[in-house]
Amino acid sequence: MQALLVDDEPLARAELRALLAAHPDVTIAAEAGNAIEGMQLINRLNPDVIFLDIQMPKITGIELVSMFDPEHMPRIVFVTAFDEHAIRAFDAHAFDYLLKPVEPERLARTLARLRRAQSSAVPDYRPLIELQPLQQLPCHGHNRIVLLPLADVESVTARLSGIYLVDTSGNEHFTELTLKTLEERTPLLRCHRQHLVNPQAIAEIRLVDGGGAELLTRHGRCVPVSRRFLKPLKDALGV
Amino acid sequence: MSEQILLVSQLLQQTCVFLVIAWLLSKTPLFTPLMQVTIRLPHKLTCYVAFSAFCILGTYLGLKVGESIANIRAIGAVLGGLLGGPSVGLAVGLTGGLHRYSLGGPTDLACMISTIAEGLLGGLIHRALIRRGRVDLLFQPLLVGVVALAAEILQMLIILAVTRPYATAFAVVDSVALPMLTANSIGAAMFMRLLLDRRAMLEKYSNAFSAHALRIAARTEGLLRAGFNEANSLKVARIIYEETGVGAVAITDRDKLLAFTGTGADHHLPGTLIASPHTLEAIRDNRVVHADGNEVAYTCSIHPECRLGSTLVIPLQDADDQVIGTIKLYEPKGRLFARLNRTLGEGIARLLSRQILTGRIDAQRALLAQSEIKLLHAQVNPHFLFNALNTINAVIRLDPDRARGLVQHLSTFFRKNLKRPEETVTLADEIDHVNAYLQIELARFGERLKVDIDLPYIYAQVRLPAFSLQPLVENAIKHGTAHLLGTGHIRLFAEPGKQADTLLVHVEDNAGLFTARQASDGMGMGLVDKRLKARFGPGFGLLVASETERYTRITLTLPLSEETAHASPAG
Repeated sequence: MQALLVDDEPLARAELRALLAAHPDVTIAAEAGNAIEGMQLINRLNPDVIFLDIQMPKITGIELVSMFDPEHMPRIVFVTAFDEHAIRAFDAHAFDYLLKPVEPERLARTLARLRRAQSSAVPDYRPLIELQPLQQLPCHGHNRIVLLPLADVESVTARLSGIYLVDTSGNEHFTELTLKTLEERTPLLRCHRQHLVNPQAIAEIRLVDGGGAELLTRHGRCVPVSRRFLKPLKDALGV
Repeated sequence: MSEQILLVSQLLQQTCVFLVIAWLLSKTPLFTPLMQVTIRLPHKLTCYVAFSAFCILGTYLGLKVGESIANIRAIGAVLGGLLGGPSVGLAVGLTGGLHRYSLGGPTDLACMISTIAEGLLGGLIHRALIRRGRVDLLFQPLLVGVVALAAEILQMLIILAVTRPYATAFAVVDSVALPMLTANSIGAAMFMRLLLDRRAMLEKYSNAFSAHALRIAARTEGLLRAGFNEANSLKVARIIYEETGVGAVAITDRDKLLAFTGTGADHHLPGTLIASPHTLEAIRDNRVVHADGNEVAYTCSIHPECRLGSTLVIPLQDADDQVIGTIKLYEPKGRLFARLNRTLGEGIARLLSRQILTGRIDAQRALLAQSEIKLLHAQVNPHFLFNALNTINAVIRLDPDRARGLVQHLSTFFRKNLKRPEETVTLADEIDHVNAYLQIELARFGERLKVDIDLPYIYAQVRLPAFSLQPLVENAIKHGTAHLLGTGHIRLFAEPGKQADTLLVHVEDNAGLFTARQASDGMGMGLVDKRLKARFGPGFGLLVASETERYTRITLTLPLSEETAHASPAG
């Protein structure tokens, strides 16, 4: 079982690492010190299970769950010391969680459960996602991370090199989030196989020859609309 | 001619009777609105009724001269006009005139017309003076006399013009002109003099009263606020005794005498249970009891030889009008209570009640502040404890010796937490507390937290309220650096303040999340500020400087004691 540890406290990771060492079928693929690093590693390594802390800087564990690609939802074991709110939600939906300090017996039981469940479907984490909807989108710059507020996103473009958020000033920001995640977890609307648009940013819809259309944003930029997505887009906008 | 002089003197005698009646009435509240220029309708109405009555009285007090009456009706009409304005003057003149007309005689019509004219004349002069802004002149007896004189001359002319045959008119005017001109002018002027005297007396009275009340208020200010007890009550009783000049003053609570000063202090001893039936009645019925020694008998309930002969007992009340005690004013036998003392007594009782109430609110507020701190303590917070235990738990596996050290720090932290919040401690003491806390957090955050403490040794003995610094450092981490992806930096440093003899202690983080932090909850920062200000004064306390995503700096301003201030920082 490939595991990923995401916790901002190095000692907490060290402790869990030590406890997991007693289970030879579990290998720790990587460790992350915050949710943003965590997301990159998850996308890259596609682990079987993530041990996820909740209280972390900038983006909490719960927010991180809503950033996962819904089509490649990993299995999650939440690890927390005292988040009552979240613990109620875990109990209510029978999500796996561990309380810090982690008891070895409890960890063993959780791992046993995970082994049995390997082949079955990943639980539906949507109740958690609703607990803390996405408000800001992490973007990776050269050597810094920008958290772009959703309201500042005008459109999203998929290229070969990855997914880019276009902000209201026209700047592009590379993000680890997939189009699918953005489409499902935010109010952004799909208008093209490769494009999403923020409905708040649309100024004009221009129909073009061949059944497609073109969106003009409030800041004067064009976003293409393909024939296939024109009808759903119009329905969503109520026009 | 001698007959004329006789008539003048007789009419002046009648005027005296008239003025005596006016003087007697001036003691009644009816006169209060007459003492100023009347503007409002009820006042105008009183003015009309009163001067119409005087107008009619002036007719009745007149002397029969042949078939006409030498009268002093003009006083009422002219004064009504002067004080009430044209409308009141006209109405008074009309009333007095119609009354005169009903009595008949050869000059009845002329007299009616002239009375109306007199009232109107007074009213017009009133209006003219008001328009010129010379209200003061209205109250000049001399002016009033002159107006009355003019009015009487007008009357004589009207009689001559209206009454027929002319010979009758002439005969009447010839005989009554002199006495009426004289009596009415003097009468009107003296009437005004009387009003002025009455007004002056009232003002003097209320001035003296206010001065008394204000002096008592000023001198007792804050005394009972510090607590409704024997010591403070005695101070208040002494002040009231000195200021009012009554025979004795006592203050009780609901059960016993708290303070007594003045005549009879030898046997009215503080701590004695209340025995006086008057006091018990005042407390039971929540009302003022006045045993004046005449209508309501008063004998001292403690000592048969007591020289006190009357008492006024006024309940002291709390916010819900519940009786919490009484204040008692006594006079010795043979001296009677002036009415002034009763009103003043009630005023004093209100004043003291207010003070006691404020005192209770103060005490509650202080209590609340203390419990706030206790609460804050209790909340020291389970999250911190959880984190500390988890950290130590992990360290035990990696480095048992270091774990032992952390347990020591945790123990120090909780021992420092046991300090009483009202204590002052030294800066060194506070730093120990902060350090114990920081050692746990440093272990927990590892590379993600850096702390610099730079407090010159010289300031170690500066005193400050306990729990002033640790909450600020905790905030800087919990609401500041803990939210950073990169390394959090906490700086703790001190420098002399711009004001002489002050010390600034800064707690700075590199997160710059202050606004967001403030919105989330109180953080106890407000409490730290309040406690510093309460202890050291308004110039001390907390200051916040913040630049978003750069830094938040909380600055404590503390007083430096003499020796610390003048020592060199290098030492």
